[in-house]
Amino acid sequence: MKTGKRGVRRALGKATICLMTLALSSAPVLAQAPARVMSLNLCTDQLAMALAAPGQLSSISFLSRDPSLSAMHEEAETYRVNHGRAEEVFLENPDLVVTGTYSLHNTTGLLKRLGFRVEEFSFIQTVETIPDDIRRMGALLGQAARAEAMAKDFEAELSRIESRQCGKQPTAIAFEQGGVAAGSGTLADSALAAAGFRNLAAEAGIAGMAPMPIELIVPQKPDVIITRAGEEDQPSLGAKVPYHPALRALEGTRIGPFVPRGTWSCGGPFTMEAVRALASLREEIAPCGETR
Amino acid sequence: MRPAVLNIILGLLMLALFVASMAVGPAELDISESVRGLFAGGGEAAGIIMREIRLPRALLGLGIGFTLGISGAVLQGFLRNPLAEPGIIGVSAMAAFGAVLIFYSGLAGSTLYALPAGALLGAVVAVLLLLALAARSGSTLTLILAGVALSSLSAALTSLVLNLSPNPFASYEIIFWLLGSLKDRSMEHVWLALPLMAAGWLLIALSGRAIDALSLGEEAAASLGIHMKRTRLLIVMGTALGVGAATAVAGTIGFVGLVVPHLIRPLTNRLPSRLLLPAGLGGAVLLLAADVAVRLVLPTGELNVGVLTALIGAPFFLWLVVRSRREVFYAA
Repeated sequence: MKTGKRGVRRALGKATICLMTLALSSAPVLAQAPARVMSLNLCTDQLAMALAAPGQLSSISFLSRDPSLSAMHEEAETYRVNHGRAEEVFLENPDLVVTGTYSLHNTTGLLKRLGFRVEEFSFIQTVETIPDDIRRMGALLGQAARAEAMAKDFEAELSRIESRQCGKQPTAIAFEQGGVAAGSGTLADSALAAAGFRNLAAEAGIAGMAPMPIELIVPQKPDVIITRAGEEDQPSLGAKVPYHPALRALEGTRIGPFVPRGTWSCGGPFTMEAVRALASLREEIAPCGETR
Repeated sequence: MRPAVLNIILGLLMLALFVASMAVGPAELDISESVRGLFAGGGEAAGIIMREIRLPRALLGLGIGFTLGISGAVLQGFLRNPLAEPGIIGVSAMAAFGAVLIFYSGLAGSTLYALPAGALLGAVVAVLLLLALAARSGSTLTLILAGVALSSLSAALTSLVLNLSPNPFASYEIIFWLLGSLKDRSMEHVWLALPLMAAGWLLIALSGRAIDALSLGEEAAASLGIHMKRTRLLIVMGTALGVGAATAVAGTIGFVGLVVPHLIRPLTNRLPSRLLLPAGLGGAVLLLAADVAVRLVLPTGELNVGVLTALIGAPFFLWLVVRSRREVFYAA
């Protein structure tokens, strides 16, 4: 009984959408490519924006407009935004919902029960998983060729940067708001490794994003402490922790954002900007000399 | 107990806990490393840890504990109310709200000076508001109820401001402001708060003779030549300076000012002025001990010290309420 009702409602919704699409657009729509895609997660937003055809992406999450989190915040201004609520999805009635596995667990479950097609992307991303994330999003959006080219570019540049490494490996810590460090298995950890840094937080046994006491960082004397960029205009106490006088007192330790803002909050084609910035920082700190 | 003996014992306890606070931390330094680090110059890791991380933390524990203890003692004496305390009557919560409002709105850029400025303002407003209420009715209950309302309102407004902040991580700092902490403080915070707190202690100390006379009632005090307006100003400014500065750098740490005067009063001759110094020392002892404990219980995750003082203080508060129930009901 329940399923029947839901089926009818969905069918009616689909029919309405079909009629609207027919009425509004004369462009032919590929059979397998969803015409209206809704993204509920900052990371899927940016992958989708990079790959979707004009008009294909009906809305993205509001976080994508936050310059401190989103590398594509300017592009995000041109899209409608949602707040990741099931009601919004119901009203928008997209053909496909893309979101992260971590965020909005209840919403995702509800949407699946309501019969929406929901594709979840793992929030555990590294520079190695990014090309496949790009390919998967491309396949979902019917943009496989475009995605393949983008993924290939990413892989090529990644291996080019990795091959520039030499024996010298300066040490680094990606130190976020409130003294949280990026440990093993994080995107930041993989970007640091690709650029030729040793991640001291991972070596100290930190897995994922976890607090790391300043007292444990001081004796390690990292060459670089990488903070979150773009907080000058958004004061918080946590943002001051990486600039604690005890860390500033370390001679030879550089503290700063170093990585363009938003480029490693999420994995996407733009994450290469972070790897590039880190690689040139590494070459500045520990030049390889004649080997290059 | 003779006052001098009591003060010396509490002072020694405070020193011992100050040393303990310097000795505890995730970087396990042994004693010789710690001592050398503290007194030798240079950029050695042990030196930086001792001078830039543990010293400010211990100094703030001492200063804030002293402030909360002495403020509790003076408020209990002045308001003749056994339940008066900066946390319970809402002064700390208003100070936290003031700090949060000015700092997170970015009105003053992201400078740390915004914190004490906002906190002092909040604390002054709170004390004046409470005095206006308490002066009208001498009842214990009115003051406490007004304090409860003020605390809840300030906590709600603090959460609101932090949730509305453009910084997506600011809302994680709600817990710091509602249940304070001494984690990751630096000498900058010490220089910011300690002079203001010391000024507060001085003002409170100057009110000592007046609160002794006030224990005989306001008219008797006036006949003894006590200037009520001056006394009120001293106490308002003293507690607001002290509690405001303390809250600006460590968030709301409750119940220290409630528990300590009650524990120490039986050891004194019960003159309110004689309670001020030992209550301050006792407050420092309690907060330093609590701050050592939070670092030992959960070395990496670290509990907020305000959680621990509330765990100790709230049952104590209930016990006081039960004990003074009859008095409270009649006064109402």
